[in-house]
Amino acid sequence: MTLVRANGVTLHVQELVPTGVAEPPTAVLLHGLATDSMASWYFTMAYPLVELGYRVLLLDLRGHGRSERPTIGYALDDFVDDLSALLEKERKVLLLGNSFGGTVAFAYAARHPSRVSALVSVESSPPTTAWFARLTNRIGELAAAVSRPRALVTVGARRGALGAQRAQDAARLLAETSVREELPASRLPSRDRLAAITCPVLCLYGERSHVVEMAPETQRLLPQAALRVFAGQKHTLLIDQPEDVRAAITAWLRTSQPGG
Amino acid sequence: MIPVDTPSVTAEVTRIVQAVLGDFGAEEITPESTFREDLGMESIDVVALAGRLQARYGAGVNLAQFVATLDVDSVRELRVGQLVDHIVLSMSEAGERP
Repeated sequence: MTLVRANGVTLHVQELVPTGVAEPPTAVLLHGLATDSMASWYFTMAYPLVELGYRVLLLDLRGHGRSERPTIGYALDDFVDDLSALLEKERKVLLLGNSFGGTVAFAYAARHPSRVSALVSVESSPPTTAWFARLTNRIGELAAAVSRPRALVTVGARRGALGAQRAQDAARLLAETSVREELPASRLPSRDRLAAITCPVLCLYGERSHVVEMAPETQRLLPQAALRVFAGQKHTLLIDQPEDVRAAITAWLRTSQPGG
Repeated sequence: MIPVDTPSVTAEVTRIVQAVLGDFGAEEITPESTFREDLGMESIDVVALAGRLQARYGAGVNLAQFVATLDVDSVRELRVGQLVDHIVLSMSEAGERP
């Protein structure tokens, strides 16, 4: 385990390095908001990417997993600042983001377009006004859900220990930080900045998730984006269908990143 | 040279598990203990544990691969002894290579 000091916070980072590959390209994995941590990528895509020859960096976003949970500093720019500080010495990286992690990836690419070789988003959207309106609703729903008495017991009965654990992590973040106020009030990149992301982009969606409704807007902003919808799947696509996600990402990387 | 016999690795894994769990550590850790149910480790703790063991035993044990082959739910079933066996096996295989 590595704890890294970046942008004034202590971040939990894991690095996996392929053996026998000289100067491997770097892939950075970013998880979702509140109920997520690097574990969801670690158990699904991390090792397959190492096998493809990538050096893999996994990050627990501030307030999540084993990273520090400061009480304030949860606007989109704060997450992007952390990533920028962490990747300061990297030349060009492949970014993969799940849910809110994908939004951080798009925001990073909008700020540093020349430093991203390709971007994969799972159940996510670039940081548009419409998407942030949805995120705001979602945070509100989540806060209401975890503040109900016995909420964690109910979640535990329905979704098992893992679900209960995720609810507990979310409860801590929502109760102990200003994420509910700061994230919805985030300054967003302009549409021109987002449209200036010219690297290859792959967007994966679950058919039964509302996030897929953001796909047309994403396609307008980023005409190069390849979109893929998984029949019958929900927002938890990465955790529920790791093998299908793995196959789709692997196949796409082979065609979009020749020699990568 | 790090000792890689089963009792030594068990002792080392136990020490590192305690370090990962910090103040909330379990009273007793045995080869039969499951990381999830018995030791109360969250999946993110298992990731942190894998990172520390990798640092201790080197890339040869390939814990990332071992843990990554388990899906998020099967991590719950993982026992301390399974992890020890994996390390001992990987290290002895590495030692046999010319």
